[in-house]
Parts: sequence; C-alpha cells; structure tokens
Amino acid sequence: MVGAGLAGQRAALAAIQAGRDVAVVSKLHPLRSHSGAAQGGINAALGKEDSVDTHIYDTVKGSDYLGDQDAIEFFCREAGPTVVEMEHFGTIFSRGPDGSLARRAFGGAGFPRTIYAADRTGLALLQGLWERLGTERFTLYEEWDLTDLVVREGRVQGIVAFDRKHGDFEEIATSSVVLATGPFGRVYGRTTNAHSCTGDGVAAAYDVGAFLKDMEFVQFHPTLLLESGILITEGARGEGGILKNALGERFMSRYAPHVLELASRDVVSRAIVTEVAEGRGFPGPYGGYVHLELMHLGREKVESRLQEIVDYSRNFAGIDPVTEPIPVYPGQHYMMGGIGTNIRGETNIPGLFAAGEAACVSIHGANRLGGNSLLETLVFGKEAGIAAAAHAKTAARTEMTSADLDAAVAPLRAWSSRKDGEDPSTLRTEMQQTMEKYVGIYRTEADLLEGVKRIRAVKARFDRVQVVDQSKVYNLNLTDALETGHMLELAEAIVVGAYARTESRGAHSRADYPKRDDAHWMKHTMAAKSPAGPILSYTPVTYTRWEPKERVY
Amino acid sequence: MPEKTVSAQFEVYRFDPAHDSAPRYDRYTLDLAPHTPVLSALLRIRAEIDPSLTLRYSCRSAICGSCAMQVNSKSRLACETQIGPELERNGRIVVEPMRNQAVLRDLVVDQEPFWRHYDQIQPHLILDPRHPMPEGKENPMTPEEVDRFKETPRCIACAACFSACPAVEADPGFPGPMALAKLYRFVVDPRDTAHQDRLLAIQPGGLWTCLRCHLCTEACPKDVRPSERIRDLKEMAIAAQGATEPGSRHAVGFKENIRERGLLSEAKLVRQTSGISGMVGQLGQGVRIYRKKPEILKAPHKIEGLDEVQKIYDALDHTEDDAS
Repeated sequence: MVGAGLAGQRAALAAIQAGRDVAVVSKLHPLRSHSGAAQGGINAALGKEDSVDTHIYDTVKGSDYLGDQDAIEFFCREAGPTVVEMEHFGTIFSRGPDGSLARRAFGGAGFPRTIYAADRTGLALLQGLWERLGTERFTLYEEWDLTDLVVREGRVQGIVAFDRKHGDFEEIATSSVVLATGPFGRVYGRTTNAHSCTGDGVAAAYDVGAFLKDMEFVQFHPTLLLESGILITEGARGEGGILKNALGERFMSRYAPHVLELASRDVVSRAIVTEVAEGRGFPGPYGGYVHLELMHLGREKVESRLQEIVDYSRNFAGIDPVTEPIPVYPGQHYMMGGIGTNIRGETNIPGLFAAGEAACVSIHGANRLGGNSLLETLVFGKEAGIAAAAHAKTAARTEMTSADLDAAVAPLRAWSSRKDGEDPSTLRTEMQQTMEKYVGIYRTEADLLEGVKRIRAVKARFDRVQVVDQSKVYNLNLTDALETGHMLELAEAIVVGAYARTESRGAHSRADYPKRDDAHWMKHTMAAKSPAGPILSYTPVTYTRWEPKERVY
Repeated sequence: MPEKTVSAQFEVYRFDPAHDSAPRYDRYTLDLAPHTPVLSALLRIRAEIDPSLTLRYSCRSAICGSCAMQVNSKSRLACETQIGPELERNGRIVVEPMRNQAVLRDLVVDQEPFWRHYDQIQPHLILDPRHPMPEGKENPMTPEEVDRFKETPRCIACAACFSACPAVEADPGFPGPMALAKLYRFVVDPRDTAHQDRLLAIQPGGLWTCLRCHLCTEACPKDVRPSERIRDLKEMAIAAQGATEPGSRHAVGFKENIRERGLLSEAKLVRQTSGISGMVGQLGQGVRIYRKKPEILKAPHKIEGLDEVQKIYDALDHTEDDAS
C-alpha cells in the first residue's frame, strides 16, 4: 500500500484479513495523513425518511451525469455498513438524543444524511481506523517517498522509494501495489490541500502507462478562509451559515433560489466568483471576497458544533465567528480525476490498483458532493485491498533487480550532482500561479492554450532541476524536486483535458461553452502519457437507471 | 492596499549530524505581516534563502500535528503561532526542535519513543467476545456518554505535550501526557470492555510519575487538557483498586490527614505513602529534617473550625456520589 490515509489503511486492513503479507509505505506518519483534515462528515442514508436510492440519485445528479451509475449504486449501498463498521472499530461520532449517529444537512443532498464527529470527522475516522489496524501485523515504512513503480512484462514487479530518515533509495518487490496517495491539489496556489498533497502515486502510475481519468474536473470549494486558504467546512452552511456580499445581499437567492447556500459546491463557488467579478465583493489586499455569517446561530451552537472553525478563524484570521462574519473565497479543494479504476480498484495494468482521491472510479463524475469523499476512501479502499490480495495470491513471482533500482535512481542522482540549475520551489510556484490564473473556476480556450504553453515551459525547465542540499538525512530539497516533477505532469494532464472538453459540466466551466453538451461529451477523458504530452481518448459513461436531466438546485 | 509589515528576526536551530559536530543558530530577517504564522516564515526561508532548512509540516491548519516545535522556548504548532505576539513577547523568534526527543536534523526529531508509549497503552477497543457488537447497527451512545471523552478526541498527536513534560525528561519510562490522555479516552469508552484491566495496569505503570505541573495542558494546541485527564485517571484508578502505589497512597494519605486534623502530619504521611519499610529508607532525610524542625514528629493539633473543614469533605463526598 502506498499512502496511509483512510484509503490506504482500509486497503491494508482488507489485504491483511485476506491473509496477505502487507507493507504500508507513506511519506507521513499515518495519523498525519490529509484524510484527517476532512471536516464535515460521511454520507450514509441511515435516516428513516431517507433511502439508498435517494443517495444514489443525489450523487448521480451532483456528478452532472458523468458518474458511472453502476459504481455509484455499489458505493451508496455500501455506505451504511461502512459507517457502522467504522463505529465498531472505535470511531467517536457525534450522537443524537436517542444515542444513534447524528446527521446533518449537506449541499446537494435530499435529506440530512451526513454523519459527523463535530467538525473533525476525518480525524475521528483516521483515529478509529488506525487504532483498529494497529491490532494487525504489517510493516510500516514511515516517511518514505514513492519515486517509481517498476512494471515489466506488462505487470507490476515492485516499487522504488526514498527513505527520508536514512537518505537511501530502496526497492520493495511485490506483485500488487495499491496507490492511495491522495490528491494533488498543490498544483494550485490557493488550495485547502496539505503541502504533502502532490499526487506522487498518480504521477508514478501515469509514468508506467496507467490512464488518468477526467483530470480536468477540479472542485473549487466555495469557502476557504481568505489568504491562508484553510477550509471552512460546508457543515458551517449545513448548520445554517449564510453568505452575503458587500451590499448585504444573501446573493445565493439569485443562483439557487430553492436551496440557497446548500446548492452543490460548483454552483456556490461560481456564484461567489461572479459576485466579486461584478463588483459586489468586499475589497482587500488578498483580492475580493464575500462574508460567511454564523453570528445568528448563537454562541452555543457555533462553539459546540463548529469548534475547529472557531479556532481556525481566531488563530489564522483573527476573526471571532460568534460575533463577526468570516471572509471567504473559493479555492481548489478536491480532484474528481485520478488514476482510472473499476469498482474493484483495478487499473489497466495488472497488479496496479488505486483507491481514494488518487483514483477515479468514477463516482463523483464532474462534481463531488460533500460527505462522499470520506465514504469513497473506505468503500473503495476495502475493494482495492481485496482485489490486490487476490492478485498477489495468484500472480507469478516478481523480478526486481538492482538494475531496476539504478534505473529509477540515476536521474535523481543527477539532480544532486548539478553545479547549477533550476530551483524546484521556483518552478512549483510558477506552476501554481499558472494553474490559478489560466485553469481556474471559469475557463476559456485562450486561457487554456496559454496555460498549456506555460506549464510546458516550466516542465522543460524542470529537466534542469537542481537539488542543492547535499545531506543524506531528511533531504527535503530532494522531496521538493520529486514532488514538483510529479505535479508538473499532472498539471499538464489537467489543462490539456480542460482545453479539449468544449462544454460546461459540473466543476468544469467553460465561459466560451456555457452549456452541458450530452451529445458530444457524455464520456470520460482518459489521458495516457507520451513524450509529447498527454494523449487523450474517451470512454463511455455507464448508465443504469437515471437519464440525464438539467441540473437545477 | 498592502498590509503593514514588521521586520522579524529569526534564530533557527540548525544541526545535521552527517556534517556538523555541534548545533548552531542561523539568523534570518524577514519583512512579514504580524499575523504571519511561524510556519509560513520558515517555508519562505526554505523557498527563498536556504532549501536545506529541515522541518516536518503538512496541513498548515493545525490538524495533522506535524509541525510542533519550540517557538521562544514554548512547544507549539508553528502553523498556528503568529509572529506578532512572539515579537512583542521576546523581540525575536527563536525556533528550536521539540524537547525530550533526539534531534535527527534541524527541527526534525525522532518520534519513535513518543509513538512507542502510545502503542503501549493499547490504543484500540478491547472487546469481550461474550458481548458482541450489535449486528449491522451502531452501538448506541448518548450525547452525555460522548461528553465523557471530554476533549480527548481532538488530540492530533503533535507531541507538544510530550516535549513540554518534565516527567518525561526525568523518567523515559513515563508514558507522557498524550498516551495517558489516550488511555483516558478508552477508559471512558462505553464500547471498551477492559476499563478495569487498563486502570490496574496503569497505576504501577507510570500514572503517579505525573508532577501535576500542567505544562502539557498549557502546551496542547487542541485544548485536550492532558493533565486534567491524568487527574481523572488517578481518581478512577484509586476507585478501581484502592491506593496501591506510593503515589496514590500519598494522595489518599494527604486527604485523610487533613480531614482528621485540618493540618498535615508529615511523619504520618511518609508512613502512609511508603509504609514502615519505606520509612526506614527515608530515615537519613528524616533525621536531617528533625534537626531543623523537631516538631515534625508530633502530631499536629486539631485546628479551630475543623468541623467546617469536615463539612467541605462531606459535601465533596456527596458530589462524588452524585457524579458516579
């Protein structure tokens, strides 16, 4: 397992339970994984008035009909058992007065079906799962960076990784690899993602011929704390928080008259960008913004249900949300795209599996609903673990050689031996600024062409990247370079996919093609790596019961 | 409109065991807005001045627990410590690795002992196969039962408490505040079936090494209040099996002593804590104290208004009954 957030841990547990010998490789201690930053909750239709079918329908609609309906049906059916299992593992959820799991309303959902643990649901699940996994036997390689996958004779032979603590490159021979390395939001500048969200596994898979699916679909969360980009959970609106512009208008009434602030995330993000662009935002040194108001909810409710939000506002913006509005603006939050897999987590390469945000099954399609990503990590982490274990049982012996290690390591050694060259931090910043400016919430052909050109220019400079730190111990400068190289490949796949898709669907909004175009574009983008850049092909969306309709909230 | 900036002086601990024979402090001066987090400043130093500066960091929003370090001698998360107040307090910002953990490089410390203590308290639900979990359903848990966890579910394992703890420094066998707060979390979990065994194991397992200095509670960025949970564990451990350790006997002896006379009988307390054989071991120290303070051997007189003291005890006993 590469990556030890919720998806990687759940995959590990499943593979151990299937009797396999499991190694978990992670660049962070598992409890420091970015899964822990998820705030709002996890969806499961457990309420009496709710149903699995409604959850399926909401997810299909939320995906703007790009989600594969067979996968979504499976996903929503697994929701209840998955949440109950996590409760049995020890997760501490918030409870209702009768002792059952408490539920809150979330955007795009027909019923309050988001089960939560205050506003730190990811942390609660991460603790519960890690504590459960801790009772099993496996090997943890902590603070190891994935550098390469080794694929020969059309199947996985193992991985190469960099042990930060000792400064050594190591090979691990294995016939099954599950990539659960999370997102790559750091290709953008303004993002809720942790610094470590650099898509190492996604880039490694792409490098050995795995397809990247639907990469152009990037979710921009409506409410990031201004400047720091820290996430203010959708739960804040679920609890009754409202958005206002500088004129004091509750502007969501113009964009989603029925559900207002609880419209789907893409809808709310576009509304905020439009308000600011049309001059109704608040001006400030970090750009225009709008207000998220919680004051009317009362101190008791805000401080008990949105404890972390209160702390974030106070510590990172000097704002007390009990008495003042929170300044917010949208920013990158979630990658719908990733390594293309089926329901079992299988990629197009035998022995290579993926799960969680690194993967694209696809259940989120063009736009993910809040509360569905934590669920995805657990449902498909388990499936990928089961499939990887089954593959490992029957696969032929792997053949890793020292030549594999040398081949993987040689270019990295060249980075360190250069006398002068490009600084990885500078290249990273230029990539982030390019993505922010040309591949943002609203996209146009001209911008995207400029984006492709600029990303390719940065990529060309990366060929001369230099690692100046010569120490063997915790050489983060080398990690910087590795991550930047990974992200540049993924940024290119995003922008090329976005340029090709001449329609607006879900989170992909083309100002020059404002309508969804089902006749031409009801299909998944599949990107394959080539020296000249991504080669795109398309595969059909799977339908079961739901015909595409216009998406209104 | 650009925001007002201040000139901030940083002194950052640097040590690479592969190249350096001793640590040094590197100085950097940056112009920054006063609300800039220390982490942002360090990342700017990495990006613009010296990419070899080494630290752990990830989420930059106080939830991953990676960036605990000492800022002006306090164990803090660098991501949520703003430079303005630090400059006001200290005139400059001294950044050092956490204490009680060996430095691997610069601000990165070896957390193996911290995690080992965490593992040793058995941080997982211990279940009794005779009482299976409800099939296909969650265990019911009332909001009141959830409240009994207090703030322990907020712990992000950043180890700031472990760094601040003088008992960890004095006794590497002491589990430390985080592990004990985690233990508390399992002892109050209605799903766990090993509360009694956990309490029996921890009384001789380091619980009474805690000095009650509350530095862990001061250091904790998530308000977990480990020292208060350690106090709760002490009370629960005594309730579970009585006072079996010098530490718990000292606590109980102190309480009984005051109830009887309103004043502490120090000689009696030593006997209550250490037993007769323990008193023999402390004889030398006893003689030294006796020379300076001969009244030590006399039982103190009963104070005036002792009945008022006893009323306080009765009232407290009554509240404890209500609570349990």
